[in-house]
Amino acid sequence: MTIDLSEVLCTKSHEYVIKKGDILTVGITDFAVEQLGDIVFVELPEIGTVLKQGEVFGTIESVKAASELYIPVSGKVVEVNEKVIESPELVNTDCFGDGWLIKVSDFSNKELAEMMNYDEYKDFLEKEE
Amino acid sequence: MEQFSKGQEGREEQEMIKRTPLYNEHLRLGAKMFEFAGWEMPLQYSSVKEEHFTVREKAGLFDVSHMGQVFITGSDALKYLQNLVPQDLSKLEEGKAVYTALTNDNGGIIDDLIIYRLPDNGCKFLLIINAARIENDLNRLLSQKGSYDVVIDNKSNELSMIALQGPLSSEIISDIGISDDNIPKRFRIKEITINGMDAFIARTGYTGEDGFEIIVKNEDAERLWQDLLNKGEKYGLKPVGYAARDTLRLEAALPLYGQDLTEETTPVEASLSWTIPKEKQESYAGKDIILAQFSNNMPKRKLVGFKMLDKSVPRHDYEVFTDNEKVGRVTSGGFSPCGNVGIGLAYIDTTKHLSEGAKINIMIRGKLHPAKIVKTPFYSVKKSNK
Repeated sequence: MTIDLSEVLCTKSHEYVIKKGDILTVGITDFAVEQLGDIVFVELPEIGTVLKQGEVFGTIESVKAASELYIPVSGKVVEVNEKVIESPELVNTDCFGDGWLIKVSDFSNKELAEMMNYDEYKDFLEKEE
Repeated sequence: MEQFSKGQEGREEQEMIKRTPLYNEHLRLGAKMFEFAGWEMPLQYSSVKEEHFTVREKAGLFDVSHMGQVFITGSDALKYLQNLVPQDLSKLEEGKAVYTALTNDNGGIIDDLIIYRLPDNGCKFLLIINAARIENDLNRLLSQKGSYDVVIDNKSNELSMIALQGPLSSEIISDIGISDDNIPKRFRIKEITINGMDAFIARTGYTGEDGFEIIVKNEDAERLWQDLLNKGEKYGLKPVGYAARDTLRLEAALPLYGQDLTEETTPVEASLSWTIPKEKQESYAGKDIILAQFSNNMPKRKLVGFKMLDKSVPRHDYEVFTDNEKVGRVTSGGFSPCGNVGIGLAYIDTTKHLSEGAKINIMIRGKLHPAKIVKTPFYSVKKSNK
């Protein structure tokens, strides 16, 4: 699945969201995937969970280490990607597509407006190095 | 996203981070570097899984130059060392290696090490010790010297060590020009010359595979590394980092000092009873405690292997439960690429009589996950005939 990166918004902790109508798709960025390496386990919240911005919504484990996932904007979990729970390597192969993690509704537009677009995120990464 | 638990890493703050003579090679090969035991070492070059399978199926090259080499010589070398380790070195033939522990007076493990007996009238031994323990080991060695006629020669700063591990290792070793006569058999060592470089070559390792560990002078390390990589290319040889080194050694259930072994654990508790000959005559540090634990086979706790029964991954320091009661702690944990499952080593309270097949639970981020005690190693190859 190809993705239009201009639709991708990112956090400094390397999560992304893509807005489609009333629903946000949440995942981790290509940079995060590269840092983590081979992903072997994904733990996600239950449908219906209400999350506040910055809260931990799950865990992702690579061969090397476990990492916590932070929700970029407040909202309610309406779908979790059962496919990545079954096949965590999908996050490695297609983080912006089939490797998405959760879908969120009732999100805060104000918080969404504070996120970096993909170009700003790339600049941020460069400065970090 | 933030990392909150790490697999293999040096846990103590070090004043100055050291680099091996192969540092530039690691950068050239695109390694991601990290700190391990006070050294800046390669974490991975490509992908951990890929590097892991390279070693299991072909061969991998590791920089283990941070490890320590100490030579013990002198007419009392045997007598002196016999007092320091549980293994019976009088039975050790020249050119052979033995895995053992440097014990303290309580039977605790100061370090785990390989001792090679070198051909020199039986009076020369080479100790390969853990990087993070060099200072502790030397203190112990010096404090026990007394009036023994021995010379303790720490060559750790002058020597580098490269490990070649995997089923195709012996073919690569032949290909760089080492004659069959100069290739040591399993758990043996030879002092040879490789393309003009003085070297010790031993058939030992830390991966559960056949392989070699080669010790050369620091100034020769880069040339040997490149020679091996060049000659090994057609066999699929690749450099392998410390992330894969950890998954490989964990599958082989080889303990890591500082996690699975400490000054508070005895070799019996660490399930290293096979390294304790009962019939050894000489006394050694902690012998009474170790033999008492050994004969009633009932230390308070024991290191066991376990595997997860769901997709979760156990990590260092997670707690172990049965029937909602805490019964132990994970010392090493991770994902097994060969088993495609989370595996670990944990110290378990022996009064619970949990043996192979017993169901346990691992507390992972506030939730209990099912696991089962299993036989170790998690992975092993059929014994090489060579």
